[in-house]
Amino acid sequence: MNKTVISRAGCLALMLALAGCATAPGGGSIYVPRGAEERTRAPEPPRTSEPEQDAEPPVWRKSEQPDIREPEAPATRSPSYRESGDELPAAAVSLIRDADQRLRQGDSAGAIARLERAQRIAPRSAEVYFKLAEAYVEGGNLGAAEQFTLKGLSLAGNDSRMQRSGWLLLADIRRARGNVAGADQAETRARAL
Amino acid sequence: MSKARSPRKKSSKPQLRRKRAGFWRFLFRAGAVGLVLLAGWMVYLDAVVTSRFEGRRFEVPSRVYARPLELYDGASISASGLARELALAGYRAGDGVRVGTYQRNGGRFVISARGFRFPDGEEPRRRLSLVVSGDRVQSFSVLAGPDSPIVRLEPAQIGGIYPSHREDRVLVRLEEVPELLPKGLMVIEDRQFYEHFGVAPLSIARAMLVNLKAGHIVQGGSTLTQQLVKNFFLTRDQTLARKGNEALMSVLLEWHYEKDDILETYLNEVYLGQAGNRSINGFGLASQFFFGEPLKDLDVHQLALLIGMVKGPSYYNPRRQPERAKTRRDLVLSEMAEAGLISAEESAQAIARPLGVSSRPSYTDNRYPAYIDLVRRHLARDYRQQDLQSEGLRIFTTLDPAVQNAAETAIRDTLPRLARGNARDALEAALVVTAKDTGEVLALVGGKDPEFAGFNRAVDASRPIGSLIKPFTYLAALEQADRYTLITPVQDRAFTLEFDDGRLWQPKNFDSKERGDVPLHLALSRSYNLPAVRVGLDVGIPQVQQVLRAFGVTTPISDYPSMLLGALSLTPAEVAQLYQGLATSGFNTPLRTIREVTDADNAPLSRYSLKVDRVADPAAVHLVQYAMQETMQEGTARSAYNLLPQRLSLAGKTGTTDQGRDAWFAGFSGDLLAVAWVGRDDNGPTALTGASGALPVWSAMMAQLPQHGFSPVMPDGVQYHWVNVQEQVLTGEGCPGARLVPFITGSEPRQRMDCEGQFGRQIRSWFEGLFR
Repeated sequence: MNKTVISRAGCLALMLALAGCATAPGGGSIYVPRGAEERTRAPEPPRTSEPEQDAEPPVWRKSEQPDIREPEAPATRSPSYRESGDELPAAAVSLIRDADQRLRQGDSAGAIARLERAQRIAPRSAEVYFKLAEAYVEGGNLGAAEQFTLKGLSLAGNDSRMQRSGWLLLADIRRARGNVAGADQAETRARAL
Repeated sequence: MSKARSPRKKSSKPQLRRKRAGFWRFLFRAGAVGLVLLAGWMVYLDAVVTSRFEGRRFEVPSRVYARPLELYDGASISASGLARELALAGYRAGDGVRVGTYQRNGGRFVISARGFRFPDGEEPRRRLSLVVSGDRVQSFSVLAGPDSPIVRLEPAQIGGIYPSHREDRVLVRLEEVPELLPKGLMVIEDRQFYEHFGVAPLSIARAMLVNLKAGHIVQGGSTLTQQLVKNFFLTRDQTLARKGNEALMSVLLEWHYEKDDILETYLNEVYLGQAGNRSINGFGLASQFFFGEPLKDLDVHQLALLIGMVKGPSYYNPRRQPERAKTRRDLVLSEMAEAGLISAEESAQAIARPLGVSSRPSYTDNRYPAYIDLVRRHLARDYRQQDLQSEGLRIFTTLDPAVQNAAETAIRDTLPRLARGNARDALEAALVVTAKDTGEVLALVGGKDPEFAGFNRAVDASRPIGSLIKPFTYLAALEQADRYTLITPVQDRAFTLEFDDGRLWQPKNFDSKERGDVPLHLALSRSYNLPAVRVGLDVGIPQVQQVLRAFGVTTPISDYPSMLLGALSLTPAEVAQLYQGLATSGFNTPLRTIREVTDADNAPLSRYSLKVDRVADPAAVHLVQYAMQETMQEGTARSAYNLLPQRLSLAGKTGTTDQGRDAWFAGFSGDLLAVAWVGRDDNGPTALTGASGALPVWSAMMAQLPQHGFSPVMPDGVQYHWVNVQEQVLTGEGCPGARLVPFITGSEPRQRMDCEGQFGRQIRSWFEGLFR
C-alpha cells in the first residue's frame, strides 16, 4: 500500500523540482521591512544620509503623534487574502532535495529534520507539507502524514496541479489507513480538477 | 599558587623506651599497626579521590542554545539584527577571514563561520558573503568551504541548567586543545609532569629553598596532579595534614589513571575565575568567559594569559587587574620562548598585543530566565532534573534572539507610558511570541523586568481572557453556514437572563450603548458584547466549549453564559496556543520551545517534531480571520497602525476584563503570532483596555521586526463576493456600500442589486454547490 503512496509522491517530487525553478507569479505575502511606509502617514522628517547604520528600531514618541493620526481607515483597505500559497525559495528547494535523497536511503528521520528546516523557511507553501506527509508515510506514521496532507491542501489555493497531487496523496494515505470512503472522496476531488 | 611540603606519613607513633627485646617486638607491632592504619587511610583516600575524579569528569550541566540563524537569499533579518546575532554567538568584528570574525561594511557582511555539530549533521567551517538590504539577505554566497545555498550559523548559548553548586563546564578534550596550552602549562607550572609520580620532591625542595631565601612564598612546588586534587576540595586551610592528604591522593590518582587523563581533567577542572555566584572552572569555559571564543580558536597571547592566570585567578583577573595580568602574561610568553615552545619573534609579537579580553563576560547568568523557565518545564516531562544538571545534554531551543530582544524592548519602553505614579508601578506585563505556522515559541517575557527570574506571568498568570473568546463563539456560529454568514444581522440589544435560582444577568456593551441590528463581522471587529452573548446562546454554550477544547483549552470551562464574555482564565502562553489554530486556518500546532536534545556526544535523545492537527473547517476559520483583520483596520485595534506600517496586514482581537483588570491583545501577521497581557499582580483595576494597554506593547514589538503581512490562502469552499451588507444582497464592485466579503460557498445572498439599487436574481452555476 505504501508503495503507491511513494510512487505518487515520486511524481510529486518531479513536479516540485520543476516548480522550484519557476519564478513566483505575483501573489505571495507582502514582505514589510521595519518601519516601512512610516513616512506615508506623517510628513517625512529630515533624514541624515546614513543608510540603516545600526538603526535603532523606530521609536514611538507620543508627543510626535498628532491627533489626526487616528483617522478612519481609508475605504480602499480591506482584509487581505490570496489565491495561492508561497513559491519555494531556492534554499528550501535545496533542503527538500537533500530530504529526498535521505528518503531514498530510508532515513525518514533525517528527511523530516531537513523538511522541518524547509518548512520554517517556507511555512506557507503546500509542497513542503506534502513532502513532510511523504516522509511520514515512509516512517510509518500515517496519521501525521494525513494531517500534513490536509495542511498542504489548505495552502494549495487555486493551483489545480498542486490540489490534484494533494488529493491523490490523501486518497492513498487514507486507503492505507483503511479509510476507503475517505479515500474515494479524495480521489473524486482529484478527478474533478 | 600553593606551597606544598614534602609529604610524610600521617600516623604518629608514641615511642616508649622499654627493654631491648620488647622494644623490637613493639616496634614491629607498632609498625604493623601503623601500616594497617595507613593502608586503611589510603583505601579511604583512594575511594574519595577516585569518586571525585570520576564524578567531576562527567558532571556537566546541560547547555541551552537559541535557534541557529539560517542565512540564505531572502532570509528576513536587518543589518543591525545580524550584527547583534553575530555578537551573541561570540563573533567579533574583524577581517572576516580569521575564524569567528566578521567584517561589515554597511549592509555587506563577510562572515568566517566556525562550523558546528548539529544533531542532524555537521555544519562545516565556511566563509560567507552576503548583503542585507531592505531587511533581507541578498547575494548570499559561500567564499570558502563547501558550497550551499543555505547555511546555519552556530547557535548562541543562552543558558545552562546547572548543578546546585553552580559550576559550569565547557568540556574540552586533550586532542582538541591547542598544543601550546598543555605545553605552556607544563613549562610554567610543572616541568616534570610526564616524569613524576604525582609529587615532585625535588621541585618542592627547590621551592622551599627559594621561599626561605625570599622570606615569603614566591614559588609553589605543587605538581599539576596536586593542583587538581586541591581543586577537588576547595578549602582554604593549608595545614600540614591537608598537604599530606593531597600528596597521598595525588600519588593514588597517578596510580589509577594515565597522565593524559589527569591532564585532560586538570584542563577542565582548574579554577580560573568567578562570575557572580558561579565559579569558572576549566580552560574551555574560561576561554568563553574571557574572550567569548572557543578554546581552539585562541591565539598565543590569549593562551598565555589563561596559563598565567592559573597562579592566581582573582589576583590576575584581566578585567579587574589588566596591568597585573599583562605583566604575568608577558612573563609566561617569554618563559614559553625560552623553553622553545614559540620563537622569540612570536613571543615579541604576542607581547606587543593587548590582552584581547572581551568587554563583557560572555556567560553571564541566564539571559532569558522566563524563556529558560518554560524550557525547563518542557524538559521536565521527559528528563530527570539530575540528568539535566550533570549529563552535559545539549538542548536546542526555538528562541529567536531578535524577536526576544524586540519583545523585551517593547515591554520596557511601552509599560511606563501606560500610566503614572503608583498605577504605573503596579503595572505588570507578559508577552509570548510564536512562529505562526510552526508553533515554535520565539520569545517569552514574564514581567516588566525581563532579567528578573521571578514570577513568570507568561506561563503562570492565569487571568480571565475577556473578549479574546469571541472569535471562537463566532467560529462556532459560522461553522453553521446555513444559519450564519459574516453579514448576518445580529442583535445589539440589551436583554436579561434569569437563571433557575432566580438570579438575573444583564450583560452590557463596553460603552453601554445599543445599536440594534449589526452585521456579524462588525459585531466581532467592534467587539460588541450583546450580540456575542446572543449568538453564543443561539449556537449553544456546549458548541462554543467544544470549539475551545478543540483549539487547545484543557482547563474546565464554565457552563454559565458569562463564559461568552470571557469568564475563562488562561495564561498568555495558553492563549497563544488557542490563537495558533485561528492563525493557521484551523490547524492546531502544539507550541514548542525545544527542537532537539542530544547528549554531550551529539547522540540524539529526543526530537520534538512539528505536528499539525486539523481542528476546524478552514473555510469557517477564514471568515473569522476576515473579521479579525477588520478589527485591525477599522475595529477596536486600529490604533496599532499608529505604530505599524499600513502595508502590513494583520489580524487580531482585543480583550478587556471588568475595570481594566486585564488588558489583552492577541494577534498575528504572516509570520508571527503574539499575545500581550497587561495588568496588576494583585488583580486590581486599571484605566486600561485591551486596545490602550496590551495593544501598544504588541505593536511596539511587531514594529521592530521585518515580516510578511497576513494574507491567508483562500481555502476550499470559500468564495468572495461583492455585497451590499445593508441590503443583504450581492452587488457590483464599485457600487455604493459594496464590500468584498468571503462566504462559505452557497451561503452567499441569492439576490443581486445593481448600482442603481435595482434587484435581480442571481443564477447559480450548477457546480458551485457541488462540493458543499
